[in-house]
Amino acid sequence: MPCTGSSAPGAVPPYPRPRPGRAPEPTARRTVHDGHHQHTLPGPVVRTEGSAPVADQAVDHAYDGLGDTFAFYLDAYGRRSVDGRGLPLDATVHYGVHYDNAFWNGRQMVFGDGDGTLFQDFTGCVEIIGHELTHGVTQYSANLDYQGQSGALNESVSDVFGSLVKQYALGQTADRADWLIGAGLLAPGVQGVALRSLKAPGTAYHDARLGTDPQPATMAGYLDTEADNGGVHLNSGIPNHAFYLAAEALGGHAWERAGQIWYDVLTGGRLPSDADFAAFATATADAARARYGPGAELRAVQAAWTTVGVGAGVGAESTAGTSDATRINAPLRPA
Amino acid sequence: MRIQVIRDGGVSGVERRAALDTEGRPDAPHIHALAREVLSSGTRTASFGVPDGFHYAITVDERGTVYCTEPQLTDGQRDLIGLVLAQGR
Repeated sequence: MPCTGSSAPGAVPPYPRPRPGRAPEPTARRTVHDGHHQHTLPGPVVRTEGSAPVADQAVDHAYDGLGDTFAFYLDAYGRRSVDGRGLPLDATVHYGVHYDNAFWNGRQMVFGDGDGTLFQDFTGCVEIIGHELTHGVTQYSANLDYQGQSGALNESVSDVFGSLVKQYALGQTADRADWLIGAGLLAPGVQGVALRSLKAPGTAYHDARLGTDPQPATMAGYLDTEADNGGVHLNSGIPNHAFYLAAEALGGHAWERAGQIWYDVLTGGRLPSDADFAAFATATADAARARYGPGAELRAVQAAWTTVGVGAGVGAESTAGTSDATRINAPLRPA
Repeated sequence: MRIQVIRDGGVSGVERRAALDTEGRPDAPHIHALAREVLSSGTRTASFGVPDGFHYAITVDERGTVYCTEPQLTDGQRDLIGLVLAQGR
């Protein structure tokens, strides 16, 4: 199943959307480079902002995905690019040979073609592009340490906003979204639907070569490990599922209220870089109350964290408008 | 010589590991030279790297383990990692 959600290949993306009577919107200032299967970055330029599609699907998918992500952050939250100040968006495609990865290197996007056995072209999934560029957003905002629970939160916000980029591009409500990261990325024959599922962590794949999706959905399954920087891609399933539960409870477009709350926490300047799950949970409850008052949004956030086993007491104290820094930052023990 | 590579991280988060025994291989001298270079150039403590970058732990016999991360790999590290992951078991 091909990835979906990005602008149609070959089409000129509709972003930034024109707004009659207003000053011209900022543009993504995209530049796509061809790595020519080498490891030297960035490589020769093959497409720039506003230029026509080229005869290379990876180039055009990367271009469109960068545009979708730029448009999402601008339209949903008024954010100009990953740094909030219009940082040009650069990407290199065809990095390495059969390279099974995509990453944000602190300055630009890097995409591999996939080995065709486990993974396909990484430019094909708009939520992957949104995920990686959100690592840039995090770098310029909360700058969550990439290890342990703060690292899992770093991964989780990339999954959350990566999925929201796709939902926004497709105009989907929470109940219609697939809530998958890497839908269609798995090569033919691999048993699975994606890399991760925010709706049902631990169910994305079960394959003889790839293994079984190891993500827990709640603290009962928390993985205490030194691998993967302390399980940053593993335990991210817990905050991922909390976001899904909050968004699903609120309904409608997930980026509008649940996403706004998460965005307020990520960019609010108060979340410590070593925040753990409990600190993040409390911060989302505080953000919900600050933006929407003690209503449905706050209740949805509190219930979501309670369901995944994080932040017992967040609800009562947040509702009362108090915040105990000692409790917020206390290490959380796996259930 | 036995060389083990463990790769984790990456956007997938899927760990991959393989080991290669050079005994009897015609290219053993070349691989041994690569391994010696990697042991001397790598760091002895793991680092966190960039988000979603691959992390590698390379172990050569009992001589020790070195760590490296994408995208800051030397040519030797990249060659050895590629060889072990492609031809190891």
